[in-house]
Amino acid sequence: MIDVTVTVNGVVRKASVPAETTLLTLLRENFLLTGAKLGCDVGDCGACTVLVDSQPVNSCLMLAAQADGRQVLTIEGLAPKDGLHPLQKVFEETGALQCGFCGPGVLMSAKALLAENTNPSEHDIRDALAGNLCRCTGYTKIVDAVQDAARLMRERSEPRALEGAEHG
Amino acid sequence: MAEDGKTLTRERIVAEDLWRFAGSKGPLPTTLAPQAKTVEPLVPQPAQQTRAVGQRVMRPDSRAHGLGQTKFVDDLTLPGMLHAKIKRAGIASACILRIDTSAAEAMPGVMAVITGRDIPVNSFGPTFQDQPVLAADIVRHAGDGVAAVAAVTEQIAAEACEKIVVEYEALPAIFDPVEAMNEDAYKIHQTASNVYATKIIKKGDVAKGFAQSDRIFVNEYTTQMVEHVPLEPHTAIVDWDAGGRLTVYATIGRITLARADLCRTLGLPMSRIRLIGIVGGNFGGKNEISQEPALAILAKKAGRPVKGVFTRTEEFTASTTRHPFVMSYKTGVAKDGRILARTVRLVLDGGAYCSWSATTLGKACILAAGPYNVDNLISEAFVVYTNKTMTGAMRGFGAPQVCFAYESQMDEIAETLGIDPLTIRMRNAFSEGATSPTGQTLHSVVVKESLRMAADRFGWETQS
Repeated sequence: MIDVTVTVNGVVRKASVPAETTLLTLLRENFLLTGAKLGCDVGDCGACTVLVDSQPVNSCLMLAAQADGRQVLTIEGLAPKDGLHPLQKVFEETGALQCGFCGPGVLMSAKALLAENTNPSEHDIRDALAGNLCRCTGYTKIVDAVQDAARLMRERSEPRALEGAEHG
Repeated sequence: MAEDGKTLTRERIVAEDLWRFAGSKGPLPTTLAPQAKTVEPLVPQPAQQTRAVGQRVMRPDSRAHGLGQTKFVDDLTLPGMLHAKIKRAGIASACILRIDTSAAEAMPGVMAVITGRDIPVNSFGPTFQDQPVLAADIVRHAGDGVAAVAAVTEQIAAEACEKIVVEYEALPAIFDPVEAMNEDAYKIHQTASNVYATKIIKKGDVAKGFAQSDRIFVNEYTTQMVEHVPLEPHTAIVDWDAGGRLTVYATIGRITLARADLCRTLGLPMSRIRLIGIVGGNFGGKNEISQEPALAILAKKAGRPVKGVFTRTEEFTASTTRHPFVMSYKTGVAKDGRILARTVRLVLDGGAYCSWSATTLGKACILAAGPYNVDNLISEAFVVYTNKTMTGAMRGFGAPQVCFAYESQMDEIAETLGIDPLTIRMRNAFSEGATSPTGQTLHSVVVKESLRMAADRFGWETQS
């Protein structure tokens, strides 16, 4: 057994797990955060995507032990306490998710993209989401929704930026 | 209520407020003061804005999806729940001589092991009950399950499957549907023929139509097998209560059919089965039971709830797929491109079991002539067993395959005759009141309008 300490969605959490335990299993079975999904178990589909130190990773391919001492953000930690993240708001309003199984992974990859690029082109979005497969939507609505969310986030941050306030 | 002898109409009930007296015991008043109420028509009127059409709607489950709060079957855990794995045959056609599960049963953490002999009624299927839950005597495709294990962890269950020894005697195997139709071909289900469903549609006189034709085109088109690949693998949790009632959480869209199949395979009255369907992507591939009866028997044997999740490999080898088609089209046309006669012969690769093949066959056969006026037509379709992953329902039920064929041939005819591909379609397409191959008079037909609009939108005239 291996002891791991991971900061998940801002909360320090500890677990003692078999060495072969993946980060996905740690999140789903030890921490009961079932937002990240197991779709293929080999890193092809991206349904298990979470952010580790702000970088999107396939949590089915990362060992829990490799996440020791790091910051993990899952879909459960995306929304602020008082509402929805702009991505969640736009995805909800535009019906960009259908069955919803790929959604948590898509949203986390999109979150990582928007942290680096506040005005992504369609090509940028398709590139960033290349590791997230979806069989329902045909991607069009997802790509549009990410662009809409980026616009919404720019609109929200610009007035504050003018005032010199911090945003992030 | 119509004591006064007048006919009771919805308008009268509303206008005279009669509904107020529906529950009262006293006599109805003979006269009522007319009230100034407008009666809403029961159906929307032409050009009327309704509360739905043209309005933006939000999916009721969108917020939960975005928050990661939608609970799919794999997100559920029951107290004491075990994990199941199914041992797959890995051989396409064979007789099972012996299955030795002793080494698996002896493993610490293994709580139950079963084979096909443990399933009360080991056959199911939406049309023909020709598919075993676990193959007991004969393996008909490599993805057939031959044994199942429930253990305290998924890893132990998977290791236990590897310790199950199955002795096979290889049987002849057929992978080509056309070959499978030969009279002397090996009979996969030991029946008289590998053809298990047929449909033939005849309209007009094809011999006369071909005789009148200026050109006759003969082409063959084939399509490949396609897997639905839902992002969510097939998953189920089964849970018996102390009274012998079974609760099944499963990735199944057709829950009523699934209950019927479950009660048949398990020998239970339907009233004792509760099925909760939660689906993360179906596309036709999650419309029937698969592992659920095996899980139920494992759970009964172990006395604990059991969860089973297909691996991505099992999704490809042990769930249904789209039928590969072999499509022979013979079409006679006049110089101007009008279709005068057509014969279509469809051979559907049905894989090892029927599943939704009969439905697919019917729809493909009916739609094989396309949205075109073909007065002289013979359309015949056959679905045959092969030793491949079973084929079943997938979006369109055979319509996309024949569309590929008749539109491809239309392009070949247009090119040979030197006619614009859009023009040749306009000359043949259905109009309002056209008759379908099965004699149905069609209404609300907008094929030509749609084609014209599409051509305008993407600038067909300027491109060609």
